Amino acid sequence: MTKRTDHPLSSVSRRTVLAGLGAAGVGLIASPALVRAQAETIRIGFPTPLTGPFGAEAKDQVKSAELAVKLVNDKGGIAGRKVELLVRDDKLNAGEAATRTLELIEKDKVHAVVGALSSAVQLAVNEVTRARGVIYVSISQSDTINEVKDFSKYTFHEALNPRMTTAAVARATFKKGSKVALLGADYAYGHEMIRGFKRAAGELGAEIVGEILHPFGAADYSTLMPRIRALKPDILAICNFGRDQANSIKQANDFGMKKQMQIVVPVLLHNQRIAVAPDVFEGIIGGANYYWALESTIPSAKTFNDAYKAAYGSLPTDYGAYGFTGVSALLLAMAKAGGTDTDKVVEALQDLKYDVAKGPQYFRKCDHQSVQSVLVLKSKAKADMKSEQDLFDIVENVPGSEQMLRSCGELGFPT
Amino acid sequence: MTTTDLAAGQGVAPRTLPKAGAALDRWRVPLTIAVLAVLPFVLPSQALAVNVLIYGLFTVGFNLLFGYTGLLSFGHAAFFGTGAYLTGMAIALLGFGWFPAMLTGIVGASLLSVVIGALSIRTRGIYFCMVTLALAQLVYYVALQASGWTGGENGLRGFTVVKADLIGGFSVNLLNPLAKYYFIMFFAALALWFVSRVLNSPFGAAIEAVRENETRARACGFDVERTKLLSFVLSGALCGLAGTLSALHLSIVPLDALGVHTSSIVVMMTMLGGAGSFFGPFVGALVFLLIEDVASLWTTHWQLIVGIVFILFVLFLPKGIWGSLIQIVRRRRAS
Repeated sequence: MTKRTDHPLSSVSRRTVLAGLGAAGVGLIASPALVRAQAETIRIGFPTPLTGPFGAEAKDQVKSAELAVKLVNDKGGIAGRKVELLVRDDKLNAGEAATRTLELIEKDKVHAVVGALSSAVQLAVNEVTRARGVIYVSISQSDTINEVKDFSKYTFHEALNPRMTTAAVARATFKKGSKVALLGADYAYGHEMIRGFKRAAGELGAEIVGEILHPFGAADYSTLMPRIRALKPDILAICNFGRDQANSIKQANDFGMKKQMQIVVPVLLHNQRIAVAPDVFEGIIGGANYYWALESTIPSAKTFNDAYKAAYGSLPTDYGAYGFTGVSALLLAMAKAGGTDTDKVVEALQDLKYDVAKGPQYFRKCDHQSVQSVLVLKSKAKADMKSEQDLFDIVENVPGSEQMLRSCGELGFPT
Repeated sequence: MTTTDLAAGQGVAPRTLPKAGAALDRWRVPLTIAVLAVLPFVLPSQALAVNVLIYGLFTVGFNLLFGYTGLLSFGHAAFFGTGAYLTGMAIALLGFGWFPAMLTGIVGASLLSVVIGALSIRTRGIYFCMVTLALAQLVYYVALQASGWTGGENGLRGFTVVKADLIGGFSVNLLNPLAKYYFIMFFAALALWFVSRVLNSPFGAAIEAVRENETRARACGFDVERTKLLSFVLSGALCGLAGTLSALHLSIVPLDALGVHTSSIVVMMTMLGGAGSFFGPFVGALVFLLIEDVASLWTTHWQLIVGIVFILFVLFLPKGIWGSLIQIVRRRRAS
């Protein structure tokens, strides 16, 4: 008897327990998933070359991008969802960047990608994101990414492009009949900048008297300086980036070139200027996307500088600011779209008018290039510097206009 | 024909490992494939797993020349990069399907290795390193200058293969990371089987004879130059295959694929895993990529970690991870 009562009891209880366990299990698995689906974090991938020759610029970019994310999260996120920035080191290597972007999309399931700091790397990231329908906001200078071959509806270019910077610098310095010599690094960046200056010279009636290329990463420019001087130019445009810029300008200075000609550069780099003495850069004119002193005329710059100072105790730099404007634009569009639905965010980005750090900006319809102001800066003499951070005079703040860009037809888009 | 007879008679017997080692050796291809098959579930990401496959295969190809034939080339990026570029260009410029494009890449890399091999095997030692390095740099500069075809500095783009059609109406969705992994693993497995066959053949004995003692091999009647050249070309073709797979995987070809860095990491991976061993190359590629991937997530000073690990390996495991493992097992058995 005891057995009989025992048996059904235990069997019933086992079934109940099993059923109960099953129900509880389903509940346990399902309920957090539902909760998670509602408040799923918005993840933004951020590949950037933390190691390598552009490490200083990359670290500034990360700081600014994280600031943009923090400001949004402090206000409660987007549609109640927190935002997270996933920073990855792309090692300034296109293959590595492609792998990292694949990881970000496949494993981390990011909702969008912002970043990169070289023409080749951004094009690699773009190739991976556009095939998978993921939004990519590039924050590195390039003319190529605007062209129809590399474009997709998911591709946005927040940075300036060589065409814009050279046009602004040329307009501020070239005159009708001025003689211009070009010295450029022999790779994509140098070539694109030289092409930009040539086009601008043609439009302004200036004459190109010579074009000299040097290898990427060259340390010695002493053989090139006499050749440049023999061309007797009024203006020398030096088209190289990073360390090359500091090295070539230093040697031009040693040769006393500045006494005979005005030196201009397409992009005057904050970090490179700090890396050498003020008198080396003194009087050099160049373009920039951002300089902190904009705050005297532009309220959003003041807000950005203050937030940056509060967070890091220093001032933002030019390439760093791209991280802020790029991520902010994306987050604004996501807020407008009410979430991360890719098509809606793309539409919101296309219609977006934003002013987050440097005055009004918007993405042009055909190529998604950010139309924005270009600064023309002049490096200050040591005596005129009011503080360590007081590096440049703002010669001109050229307001953004589509006139500065190559036309949609020129880029290969149907008009 | 005397060469092959000699090789069959003398070379094969002493190369096989004793007892349990022999089983490992006999089943080396299925074993490697079995391990590779679980990689995407073990590693942090599937993209990394595909890279391990591709660089593992690249290292296998390099190891054939370095580990088995004893020729240290510093220009193998030329074959990897050429395979990748030709595959991409065949799709982007000529509109080829993925398979003909892969064949173009492999054939192109093989032809290039005939040329570079014929020019470089006349030298030996450090001169061989330098000649291969110089010739590979020539290829690099051709790719840099011919930017209309290769994209130059910006790298080659615009040939993403979304769906690979197979025979009989089947197709593989290459945007699915797991499907892409097994698709690429199929080719890696084929290549591994091929390498295993080559190493077990009389030719496999001949290249090892050349490595051990070139003069003696010549005295035994081997055609040393031809053996070296054939080994060089096989190695180039395998590296070309790795390149074509990398093009399909990343859907871009960076100019760095042809650079000195690519040539040097394959040497490091081989050393790390164990030169002249069958499993070594994959072990080397796996450890190298894994350390780099994981360390660079932790800290921007990942190069420091990678450097220290290398120094430790060189100090304590000079024969590489797999090479040292085999040595320890043998020593234990002997005692």
